[in-house]
Amino acid sequence: MNKGHKGMMFVIFLLFGILITLQFRGIILSEPDEGATARQLAAELEAARQENQKLIEQLEQLEAERAQLWKDLGDNLNNQQVNKLLKERDYENFRAGLTAVKGSGIVITMEDAPARGELDVMEYIIHDNDINNILDELKANGAQAISINGERVMFSTKPVCAGPTIIVNNNRYPPPYVIKAIGDPDVLYNAIESMAQVALMRLADIRINVVKQDEIVINKYNIYTPLEQSLEGLEVVLK
Amino acid sequence: MKVFRTIALTAVCLVLGIMMAWQFRSVKLNQVLAQYEKKNINEIIDELLLVKKNNEDMKERLQELQREVDAFKDGETSIRDKLDALQKEILIARIKAGLETVKGPGLIITIEPGTVKNVEDRHIEEILNELKASDVQAISVNDERIVAMSEIRNAGDYIMINGNQLVPPYTIKAIGQADNMERSLKLLGGVLEKFELYGFNVTLKKEEVIVIPAVRDDGTVIRIDKLTPVQ
Repeated sequence: MNKGHKGMMFVIFLLFGILITLQFRGIILSEPDEGATARQLAAELEAARQENQKLIEQLEQLEAERAQLWKDLGDNLNNQQVNKLLKERDYENFRAGLTAVKGSGIVITMEDAPARGELDVMEYIIHDNDINNILDELKANGAQAISINGERVMFSTKPVCAGPTIIVNNNRYPPPYVIKAIGDPDVLYNAIESMAQVALMRLADIRINVVKQDEIVINKYNIYTPLEQSLEGLEVVLK
Repeated sequence: MKVFRTIALTAVCLVLGIMMAWQFRSVKLNQVLAQYEKKNINEIIDELLLVKKNNEDMKERLQELQREVDAFKDGETSIRDKLDALQKEILIARIKAGLETVKGPGLIITIEPGTVKNVEDRHIEEILNELKASDVQAISVNDERIVAMSEIRNAGDYIMINGNQLVPPYTIKAIGQADNMERSLKLLGGVLEKFELYGFNVTLKKEEVIVIPAVRDDGTVIRIDKLTPVQ
């Protein structure tokens, strides 16, 4: 064996060694580190979500208790002034979207395209803009109450895209997106079905299903923040 | 012997080549995976922050309600206090519905059409959406209060809101965090940048006191004839 050959063999095996080391290091380093952080965060998120559920239950219980106290007071006291205000309160809560309502209307269910085709990826997913335009169309056609995935639409409700999900009233929802609207079912149905944007979305295989329904229940808006915070910086001008 | 050596060398080189290609691929794959993982982690963090903030708010709200219920049950509150509490609840509902005139600090935006394009419903909607996304407390367009079911649409060269015809210039008043609202409107590639291309004349003005009128209360804007309350 001559010297040239030996040198070549040396270089080849050196490379071999380096490669094997690199490969091993890559496998050992990349996995546990990132994975552990993600797992830990996911666990924390799960705990926070469970706490959230518990808090919702507690709030609902307390609200029910308060409603009962008022009701009992109204029944027992038979004070005209109190009864009049209780009635007025129910009416104003009803008009403000702070009471659940039912009526006839339409239910729109939207889901991203099942698979991507040759268009740009962005064409196959539902964007906040699409939902906003549908909301505007519903409002323009006489909708009297709307909800998105159970979240009541108030004057400041605006769905925002966050990755493959949307945030409505500070809560996050994955698809399918379900929009319920109470109003004239035929008018609402025709308005949505004749939207150019809906046709375009369907061309991209986004699934949009519109159904008329006789009885739709729309949730109330939930006050989940302290009142002072929800009215921060606002002062009533009395006439 | 020489043949054997050549074969051996070829084999070693072949294996080395395959390994290098493999290494290269796996590095690239790892990069892609790491990107996905990072995106995933960011999403988890975002949601975690959101849920935690919500939980904090809800805890405060719980305390607020608990105090109310406790006071009620104590029997310490007089009829007078109870009437006051009811009145307050009514007022809050009316504020949320847009039935009360309100004032507070915020931002005033005026939009005048240029020579290129007319200001249309969707332009107003774009502005309103930006405002809504930054914790706005009350909005009006040409003093027409925006309520939950306010419609915004074109009517010829004009815009209809709450069944009223509005003419330019459009003045949008918003009570809330003026800085946040201004920032989201002025984002790169944002609404205002686009409006500049359309030739609109837009001005922003922060004010300490903005008065936003109540919506008209004759049953034509806030309609409830098709709704039945569910208890």
